[in-house]
Amino acid sequence: MSLAADLETVLSSGIRLTAPLAFAACGEYLAERGGALNVSVEAMMLGAAFGSIAVADVTGSAATGLLSGVLIGALIGIVHGLLTYRVHVNTFVAGLVLNALVLGLTSYLVTIGELGSHHVAQLSVPGLRDLPVLGGPLFVERWPVYLLVLIVPLTWWLVERSRWGLELRAAGEDPAAADMTGIRVNLCRGQALVWCGALAGLGGAYLAVGEVGSFNQNMTAGRGYLVIAAVIFGGWRLGRTLAGCALFGLADASRLALPALGFTVNSQLLVSAPYLLALVAMLLFTTRHRRPGALAQPFRRHAPDPG
Amino acid sequence: MAPEPALRLRGITRRYGPVVACDAVDLTVSRGEIHGLLGENGAGKSTLMRILLGLETRDAGTVERDGRPVTVTGPREAAALGIGMVHQHFSLVDPLTVWENVILGDRGPVRRAAAVASVREVSARYGLAIDPTARVSALSAGERQRVELLKCLRRDPAVLVMDEPTSVLTGAESAELFAVLRRMVAAEDRAVVLISHKLPEIMAATDRVTVLRAGRVVFRSPTAATTPAELAREMVGREVSLGAAVGVLSSASAPASSLPAPSSAAPSPPVSSPVACSLAAALAPASHSIAGDGPALRVSELTAPTLDGLRLEVRPGEIVGLYGAEGNGQRMLGDILSGLTVPDAGTVEVAGAVVDLRRSGALHDAGLGMVPEDRHHAGVVLDMSVADNLVMTALSEVSTRVVVNRRRLRARARRLADEYGITAASLDAPLRTLSGGNQQRVVLARELSARPRVLVAAQPSRGLDIGAVEDMYTRLRRCAEDGIAVLIISTELAEVLALTSRIAVIAGGRIAGETATADATAEHLGLLIGGLRS
Repeated sequence: MSLAADLETVLSSGIRLTAPLAFAACGEYLAERGGALNVSVEAMMLGAAFGSIAVADVTGSAATGLLSGVLIGALIGIVHGLLTYRVHVNTFVAGLVLNALVLGLTSYLVTIGELGSHHVAQLSVPGLRDLPVLGGPLFVERWPVYLLVLIVPLTWWLVERSRWGLELRAAGEDPAAADMTGIRVNLCRGQALVWCGALAGLGGAYLAVGEVGSFNQNMTAGRGYLVIAAVIFGGWRLGRTLAGCALFGLADASRLALPALGFTVNSQLLVSAPYLLALVAMLLFTTRHRRPGALAQPFRRHAPDPG
Repeated sequence: MAPEPALRLRGITRRYGPVVACDAVDLTVSRGEIHGLLGENGAGKSTLMRILLGLETRDAGTVERDGRPVTVTGPREAAALGIGMVHQHFSLVDPLTVWENVILGDRGPVRRAAAVASVREVSARYGLAIDPTARVSALSAGERQRVELLKCLRRDPAVLVMDEPTSVLTGAESAELFAVLRRMVAAEDRAVVLISHKLPEIMAATDRVTVLRAGRVVFRSPTAATTPAELAREMVGREVSLGAAVGVLSSASAPASSLPAPSSAAPSPPVSSPVACSLAAALAPASHSIAGDGPALRVSELTAPTLDGLRLEVRPGEIVGLYGAEGNGQRMLGDILSGLTVPDAGTVEVAGAVVDLRRSGALHDAGLGMVPEDRHHAGVVLDMSVADNLVMTALSEVSTRVVVNRRRLRARARRLADEYGITAASLDAPLRTLSGGNQQRVVLARELSARPRVLVAAQPSRGLDIGAVEDMYTRLRRCAEDGIAVLIISTELAEVLALTSRIAVIAGGRIAGETATADATAEHLGLLIGGLRS
């Protein structure tokens, strides 16, 4: 095989493995800017992956499956939001319990029925797909990948330019001040979780009906946590967060590509590569000065001390 | 018919449990006037205004705007009714820019160019120079205040409430602020409520003044018809000379001693008559101080973000009160004496030796015990057991290098609990389950068990019921009798008068004046608190 072909193999699987992370990271990034450190991304992705295949099985339409994945992710976001911001359960506990619950539930459900194989359509961009090296990896994809072109700028615009994003950032930096200004901090954060759920759902559903084509037990395998790591690695900037996703996606791709390229590396070791890389990347490149001031701090209005 | 006042509050009442923060408060503010709302900390000023803004609910009373009764459910609704507030603790979000902060709380799409232009326009109109694109985190306190004011004025409020607007400003910045306010009121017929405890600014800036004390309106007058001395008296309380304070105490302690102790499962140690004790301590404190001894605690030229060269001495056997309105540096002093903060300059000496404040635990080792202001944050671990909390600072006495000897720990805790009358169902119960008075006794017991030379108690009676307060006072007096130098940091005059032999008044991070408690008058102390040296 030529070098160009090798490169093309790694790039193309890298991009396909980056896409689910990138969708979810857009959601997580937005939630964290609002102070909501959402740890239930894993549940959102896995639930959506299962739901998308199950719905595709019932309706026969992979696109409908993808859409239901988005809705399932949003639903998990609503549940997590209600637990955290209505009932005031500790958000980490709620998130981890949701992760375990969805893992158990999908592992059970996958055993009671036979799920088929479903793929959304491939879409290639005429002209550009013939570019050397980049043409194949970038312009011949399952169509949901191209949604990134819309969702990344939309996320940026929502956070940096919209009224809602301004209020969300205020809630993430200084909830008490936001409250005094008349912003409903917990409502705002709850909405961010739902948005995060929809995007993480899109990522999970893409993994199932776009990339793999079927559902396997625990098929997200901790990608939700990689997404959280990517936001931290990115220092709460969207561009760097996506760069983190690409880094972890490429590491994941090397697991598939290296053996294909003739290298013999222990495959179990390679499975852990993205996670190991995430740890090292967070250690080396994380800057904290952009960290939202009230990240993961619950907000409740206190009566002033009358003494 | 006379025009309706811009704002009329009638019978506003708000209770927090047994504490009445506002008790049937009436307040009328007309257009074109700056109305001063004067009162000590906890007098109910801020609660009243939070109710007006819809940040707090009220138990009774009505709010009228231009004669129409209104219901305010939140800051946005208040803004829609033409009521704006400049908060005491800034309501600005640091990492956002000035224009982003100014439009926070508006509705509709964010238009940067329009927002920046509008900030420029309002800032030019009122002479409040500010760069709309600067980040708030880069601004000085004075500039932040300007942004707060701009944010409020841009919404064109008919009623503008300013809560302690000068608490973080320099003299020049304050003067500039009041010049802007006066121009605005005169030219645009707005009504301003100026909340303050600073007498000079109330006298200089307001047209009429209302004084709140303990949640009630106690005095109203046109500003021109009153004097700082009269306002000081009204703010602090009419009759609070030493004699009256002892009177208050004896009447307060009578029901306390007749009441059964709260949840009296363990026997309390006998307490000598609190009245006699308070009289003895208040009237003859000098008998305990040993003549010729140097001060046990000497604080010299302490400089930190809210302290400005603070100087203070406490001799063995003496109880000194550091009295002042909240936010004048007491918290910083408390943090420094707890070892939580290292000052920019200045020294703390305990028993004549300078303490290295950078080393953690140095103050404790030097013999300084601390009963912190907010025991829940700095004093105890609420979810650990009573026993663990009692021995927390003396672990070396109940453990080897590796293993904690539970038996010795419990024995020591039991001894302390008995000695200090700590009433708990079990020493293993989490501290959270104890009453406030018992929690405070736990902190005191622990600090005193280290046999300190100096005891600092910040707001020692805050949040305690009357019986627990009297018990606390008795114990603090006993400390002084045992030769410990006691410093009481307090915002409550009655407390300072009841406990101390000398009062130092803190204002603006330095000592504004000192007086023997026996010579203290309400007027004198009120003037010192208000920043007027007499």
